[in-house]
Amino acid sequence: MSVINVQNLTRDYGAGRGIFDVSFSIEKGEVFGFLGPNGAGKTTTIRHLMGFLKSQSGKCSVEGLDCWKDSATIQARLGYVPGEISFFDDMTGDEYLAFMEKYRRIGTDSRKNELLDFFELDPRGKIKKMSKGMKQKLGLVTAMMHDPDVLIFDEPTSGLDPLMQSRFVEFVEAEKKRGKTILLSSHMFEEVERTCDRIGIIRNGKLVAVDSVEALRKRHVRSYTVTLDTKELAASFANDFGGLLDGQKVTVMTKQSLEEIFMNYYGGEKND
Amino acid sequence: MINGALYKRGMKGSIKLLIILCAVITLYVSVIISMYEPELAKLLDSYVELLPEMMAAVGMKAGATSLVGFMCDYLYGFILIIFPMLFCFLRGNGLIAKYVDNSSMVSLLAAPVRRWKVALTQMFVMISGICILVIYTTILEYVCAEHGFPGELELKTLLALNCGLFCLHLFIGGICFLASCLFSNSKYSTGFGVGIPIFMYAEKMLVNMGGSAEKAKYFTFFSLFNPEGIASGESGAMIGAMVLFAGGIVLFILGVAAFSKKDLHI
Repeated sequence: MSVINVQNLTRDYGAGRGIFDVSFSIEKGEVFGFLGPNGAGKTTTIRHLMGFLKSQSGKCSVEGLDCWKDSATIQARLGYVPGEISFFDDMTGDEYLAFMEKYRRIGTDSRKNELLDFFELDPRGKIKKMSKGMKQKLGLVTAMMHDPDVLIFDEPTSGLDPLMQSRFVEFVEAEKKRGKTILLSSHMFEEVERTCDRIGIIRNGKLVAVDSVEALRKRHVRSYTVTLDTKELAASFANDFGGLLDGQKVTVMTKQSLEEIFMNYYGGEKND
Repeated sequence: MINGALYKRGMKGSIKLLIILCAVITLYVSVIISMYEPELAKLLDSYVELLPEMMAAVGMKAGATSLVGFMCDYLYGFILIIFPMLFCFLRGNGLIAKYVDNSSMVSLLAAPVRRWKVALTQMFVMISGICILVIYTTILEYVCAEHGFPGELELKTLLALNCGLFCLHLFIGGICFLASCLFSNSKYSTGFGVGIPIFMYAEKMLVNMGGSAEKAKYFTFFSLFNPEGIASGESGAMIGAMVLFAGGIVLFILGVAAFSKKDLHI
């Protein structure tokens, strides 16, 4: 049975905004990438999963529980890092983490210290004075210190430097190995390409493609056959561009990067 | 039933404001009770003669013969209404709407705590603050009265009076809390939470001044709080206080229900 299940989820904000008939499901231990530009409906979908919004039609569930009715039960085993994080500005990072431990009633099982070490975060000091990257790290620690089974990340690496971004990718891979189910929303192709098993591409509130990273790539492989003047030229051409040599003919293949695939779905029409 | 960690945080956020308000109340209550001297009462009465409308607007009338009557006139018309009301105004918005407005409500709801539990906890923070103010006022009044005029103030009457005062502030707190739960924007939450009580209080001031504005008393909930009536044990005044109490509870429950059901774009 799939862990996260979204069925025909619709929320119409009028004027073509919102999400329309979005359906996908995520299996246990799978990392699902949710790709789309700003304003495509990623966060709206996630808000439904979190139980912040009630669906107009359709439904969504996590581990078989209704996201609106049973949100508190779901939250016990779920970790969420929002795109725009805001904490209690009057607290220091330490105080905030201590508050969340008590608020969630985590007790002694907390992974707080392990995570603080992993993300190299020093939580002393007022949250108000922290940089965006530090806040992001604090959000990651808060979301994962109770060791949840389901993780939802909304643009988790924004604000992190490249080093920390790859630290995050490492983390996702490790959590995946531990059997966690992960939904990762992003507008960055590399992030999703590196970590995800399957990708859903959303545009203007509609899910336009759901497929594995490999299948998405395969569908977009192009090959060219070039005929050159001499066999020698053909041989060196094949050598330089990694093509298949056949007499004076060379066949080269290009794999589109996910970015180009992405542009196929988004290019042409204006995304408003 | 409530979340301890959140309750503690809420009370911590109230404490500074409570200390300031208690200090201000201490100042006024001790000075006004000590002013209960026939000569000084005459001085206040002479003000009433001089500026009858102004004094009536803030609930002060001439000829208070007993200490309780004096206190009803000079404390329960303005000072003990305004300062606890200030607490409701300032905390009402901060307990729910501010968290939603700046999105930090995410931290509270992305946790295994039900929405109604979050709202209920915040409601208890509000009610606790009102309780603290009223209980402190009661003790202060009793100590001041016993110190200056031993035996003049009956404890039973004072308790009845302040129960009435609590009912009034519970109702005002209910308005602020409901506004805070209904609106996701601090601007509207404050606008309605502060605007409605202030408007009604202004109406009460008009009513006090008498004349043709007297009819306005049916349109302000402040008419339900009648300190003189409570002090003299009138049943009408008691019922008024009970209506305020019941209304306050209903407003708080409506707030919790509204917050549990609404869409949050956080």
